[in-house]
Amino acid sequence: MTGDVLARLRAVSKQFGDVLALDGIDIDIHHGVSTALVGGNGAGKTTLLRILAGVYRPSHGTALLGAGDIVDHRRRIGVMTESTGLHVRLTAWENIRFHARLFGVEDSVARRRAEAHAAPLGMLGALDRRTEGFSRGMRQKTALLRALVHEPDLLLLDEPTAGLDITSARAVRSLIEELVAVGRGVVWSTHDLGAASVCDRLVIVHNAKIVADGPLSTLLNEAGVGGIEALHQMHTAEATREFLEGAEVGA
Amino acid sequence: MTSWHRTTTIASRELLDFVRDWRTILTMLLIPLLLFPLLFVVLPVVVGGQAEELAATEANVLVYGNLPTNLSEALMEANVNLLSPPVNSTGVDDQQQNAHVRDGVLDVILGWSLGDDEVYTVHLRYMSTASVSSDARMRVLTAVSEWEEEERVRRVEAGGLDANTTLDPVRYDTASVDLASQSERQGWLLSSFIPLMFAMWMVSSAIQPSIDMTAGERERGSLEALLCAPVHRWELLAGKWAAVSIIVLTGVFLQVAGLLFALTYLAGPGLLEMPHLSLLSTLLLTVAVVCFSVMVVATELAVAMRARSVKEAGAALAPLGLLVLVPAIIVQVVNLDGVEGVWFAVPVVNVMLAMRELLLDRVDGVHTVIWLSTTLLYTLLALGYAQRQFDREDLVLGAS
Repeated sequence: MTGDVLARLRAVSKQFGDVLALDGIDIDIHHGVSTALVGGNGAGKTTLLRILAGVYRPSHGTALLGAGDIVDHRRRIGVMTESTGLHVRLTAWENIRFHARLFGVEDSVARRRAEAHAAPLGMLGALDRRTEGFSRGMRQKTALLRALVHEPDLLLLDEPTAGLDITSARAVRSLIEELVAVGRGVVWSTHDLGAASVCDRLVIVHNAKIVADGPLSTLLNEAGVGGIEALHQMHTAEATREFLEGAEVGA
Repeated sequence: MTSWHRTTTIASRELLDFVRDWRTILTMLLIPLLLFPLLFVVLPVVVGGQAEELAATEANVLVYGNLPTNLSEALMEANVNLLSPPVNSTGVDDQQQNAHVRDGVLDVILGWSLGDDEVYTVHLRYMSTASVSSDARMRVLTAVSEWEEEERVRRVEAGGLDANTTLDPVRYDTASVDLASQSERQGWLLSSFIPLMFAMWMVSSAIQPSIDMTAGERERGSLEALLCAPVHRWELLAGKWAAVSIIVLTGVFLQVAGLLFALTYLAGPGLLEMPHLSLLSTLLLTVAVVCFSVMVVATELAVAMRARSVKEAGAALAPLGLLVLVPAIIVQVVNLDGVEGVWFAVPVVNVMLAMRELLLDRVDGVHTVIWLSTTLLYTLLALGYAQRQFDREDLVLGAS
């Protein structure tokens, strides 16, 4: 994997009551690398993303950004949540400005950055419109602009292209590639295996664990399968079998 | 970027969101401002119109017995149509005639008889639930009462006595009895309803914004986005608390202003003027209001944040208004001159009592120390509870 390590999770577990959402996760996120996080519903992707975002603290293990605790370095992280979380009575720009101010970015600087990123996404004309009338795609793009306004080192994206038309999805992917090219680390959580295949690295999460991690081509070669869907199916089925066997032994 | 900046940024965003919603503006600000002035303008017009309409309506009164001529004339002057009963009628309890009162054909049945002891007996049958019947009864009673007064004088004078000194043997000098100043009387009048209004409005109007900014924001997903920013949870609480407090205090101020305006300018001259309060009373009154708002808003934010949905938050907070209503009403009837100090330590009651005393410009040292210290304690407890709720990550986001 190229690039210096940006974020590092070691032996990270997350427990919510009786539910073990993450179990002994070890992962490094690198500068200049896009990482696709794939897995089914309830696999643990969102919890992993929230730990990387510093919103959740691990129940066990360490989550570092650089040399410090991720929670203390949220300033260097940009997050686009799946629900977008926009304030609908505010304009797109007001949503972006609100977050920019919380990150200590001057309004004029934030506006310049927002316009620069909005242009290729076709959002320039919509910046000063209230978001309540926005389509799903426009809300996604606004949330992306908001996540980028403080120029984060690490960008965490939860389903960034869901609901986008082909042209918009391509524009978003292109923007992310540019960010990766200038050394940003990107983690992209998705159900869309096709979208995941364009990332430099693929991480498959299943039953709270990482069951596969590496460049897609390497994983395919190692598994001897022809495509990402077969790869995903193989790893998740294998992990489920191991999980069930473990449960039987324990019983 | 300081904590102050982050807190004010959050509060400003909440307020901007609030002012963009015309329905909330209408509910929280315009209605409180206009409610009492409208009530004071519309109510007299409606009541006056109804009274005029009733006065113009001729009342049909069925009379059993022989009314004195001057009483009959007085009744007819009061727009009463005196009717004689049918020949076969059995008297005031005649079921058929009583049914006519129920049906509205008759408004009142009046029985009039003179006993052997020279005392008249009046029987009335009417419908308290029918406006015309009730009004007709009042017209009859007024006329009879005036006739009775004349009859009383006539009988006293017939006995050789002076009616004036016999019937009115005690005189009251009412010119300078009340030693309370005009300002004190105004303060007393205000203290009888302002604390109650303040408490009720504060508690009820904080519910909607508290829910919207916590459980509502969680449901919309904007809370998670906010928590991804480098913001401490206490800054989040402080920002939201400030926004709710500004909204609620503005609403309370507008409602009280609307009420005072209505009482001063619309309810008739001289009914109400602002009392003169000392600087200390004014300052303490401000402290009481602020402490109470901190406590109420922090508690409601905490309860709403603890709830798992907007619906659950609404169900949890709705009874809070009733919980405050009971002590607030009790406080309104407490005799301030004999109240024990312990009441100034009871939550909600303490601030309400303090407001009553301060509106009377009374600053009792012991009472002040008790209500101030206990209110600060309750306020800190409420803030601590709210902070605990805001610190719970599973409650803020929901376990995934």
